[in-house]
Amino acid sequence: MPARHRVLIIGKGDKPGKEQEYLFDAKGYQIISSPTFKKAMDTIFNDPPDLILVMADMQDKVELEMLQAVKGGIYCAHIPFIIALSREAISTGIEWEQYPVDDFISKPIDYTELFARMSLCFERMQRVFDNNPLTRLPGNTSILKTIQAALDAGEEVAIGYVDIDNFKPYNDRYGFSRGDEVIRMVAMLLTNILRETDTRKVFAGHVGGDDFSFMVPSDRATQVCEKIISSFDALVKNLVDKDDLKRNCFVARDRQGNEQHFPLPSLSIAVVSNHNNRFRHYGEVAEAATQIKKHLKSMEGSNYLIDRRKPPE
Amino acid sequence: MAIEWDEEKIAGFREKLRQTKALPTLPGIVSKLTQMVEDPSVSADRIGRVIAKDQILAAKLLKLVNSAFYGFPGRISTVSSAVILLGFNVVRSLVLSASIFEAMEKTVVGLWEHSLGCAAIANVIARRLSINDPEEISTAALLHDIGKVVIRENLAEEAAVLDEAILGENISLYEAEQRILKINHTQVGQRLCRHWNLPDRLAEPIAYHHEPKKSANHYVSTAIVHVADVLVRARGFGFGGDKWVPALDHNAWAALTLREDDLPGLIAEAEEVLVELRGFSFEIQNLGEKCPPAIES
Repeated sequence: MPARHRVLIIGKGDKPGKEQEYLFDAKGYQIISSPTFKKAMDTIFNDPPDLILVMADMQDKVELEMLQAVKGGIYCAHIPFIIALSREAISTGIEWEQYPVDDFISKPIDYTELFARMSLCFERMQRVFDNNPLTRLPGNTSILKTIQAALDAGEEVAIGYVDIDNFKPYNDRYGFSRGDEVIRMVAMLLTNILRETDTRKVFAGHVGGDDFSFMVPSDRATQVCEKIISSFDALVKNLVDKDDLKRNCFVARDRQGNEQHFPLPSLSIAVVSNHNNRFRHYGEVAEAATQIKKHLKSMEGSNYLIDRRKPPE
Repeated sequence: MAIEWDEEKIAGFREKLRQTKALPTLPGIVSKLTQMVEDPSVSADRIGRVIAKDQILAAKLLKLVNSAFYGFPGRISTVSSAVILLGFNVVRSLVLSASIFEAMEKTVVGLWEHSLGCAAIANVIARRLSINDPEEISTAALLHDIGKVVIRENLAEEAAVLDEAILGENISLYEAEQRILKINHTQVGQRLCRHWNLPDRLAEPIAYHHEPKKSANHYVSTAIVHVADVLVRARGFGFGGDKWVPALDHNAWAALTLREDDLPGLIAEAEEVLVELRGFSFEIQNLGEKCPPAIES
């Protein structure tokens, strides 16, 4: 059984009674209570809970500042906050920009609704923290989960790792905001092409920087790779200055400061196929892909390679 | 002259222009595309190729992908790039929400054919000159007279006066616009390009196809569109708004480094494409007649 979510309830207000405590327990939540915000601070910083439920109306300015400090810091910002508000407080209007909370519930509390909101909060936080802010594509946690789930189900999927060749010199030459355009472009074309190729299970994620990952049914891998590459090569012309396009390369300085000619950005796609249930866990997939990628990186222009090796006997 | 344009009226028109959002498309194109987007086996590429034959839908697509929201302002210059970036679903919604011209006026069909022909000839020239991105130049040529569509759509009354002047005084549409509206279709097109964040690679040929020498950064593309415009008018394909063939700018012609004896080959190649377009145009006009009249969304 997964670890129980710890819920910190702050404020005396309408603290849940014995009956509600059983409900929390049955839903898999462990309650920690604290009568005031000040007293809760210690727990929050030293032994952070998974979710915080604020029961008391926050009249005190110091309490509000504490709430802001918790949500403003890196370490605790991911803890979902739900605040319970009186009907009166809701109707007079809340200055939400002052209240960095994730959701609210009205008093008296309907516990069925509260539990629904709590699970929604967990889901939303997961999404918000995992999605790449630039491309809005799901990040590492979701990539790992999706691919592992497909492996566990024994699906014949192909998993691709896409990266942009010469991205670093492009970024140095044109500036990071144009570098972002290239990344957003790859994200858009990946999602569109995957969605248009197959109605079965497809997935696109953003590992970070100029690295992406996708999953398609194995029988579509070749078609998808070819389409991604031809689209990228056609699109990249729009993002390179005329003179560089004419020269078919651009001049930038390498890490040692020497002037160097770089080819225009291209794509490398390393694909591994889960043929005959070759893989058991995600780590094996990533490792196999890394080997192929090394080989791809030594080639000029946009390329893909699909590894269909069978598992070693 | 029935209509006098003062500063206030021009300012009003410019504001209207700034707000121009929906331009109607030929009913035939809309029904063809509607059939296509409802067929799940049709690829985004094929839809893109039909959209690339309609100056209004092409402009809409480029406007959308170059808007700040999609994150590529002033960058995307070809319809096929726009289709890839926006994705099938967005393109599909755009097609389904396209409004259509109430009646298939002869002048509207004529202007569409003229733009289509110009795009085709520009493409032939660009390929002959081995230019890097011929599709970009065809797009610029397809959109070169977008200003005329906007004027017709927004100023129905004035457009009628323009037509009268062209016939009555034997002047060109360009001259009539200048005299009556105090703004011509190239300037209207230029403004539209600016409001829509279209890349300079498209904006310059649109703005300067009558005066290629004014093009500062994309002279060759502008010169190609200029020459293609003259050739398609001389060939009498479509209807550019008046019966005149615009004067050829000799510097623009020289810039293309084509010799006179290149012309027959070029014309023969262009002719083949134009015959094909003729067929497409008939298909579209037939579809347009079958489609229920006046669906405005």
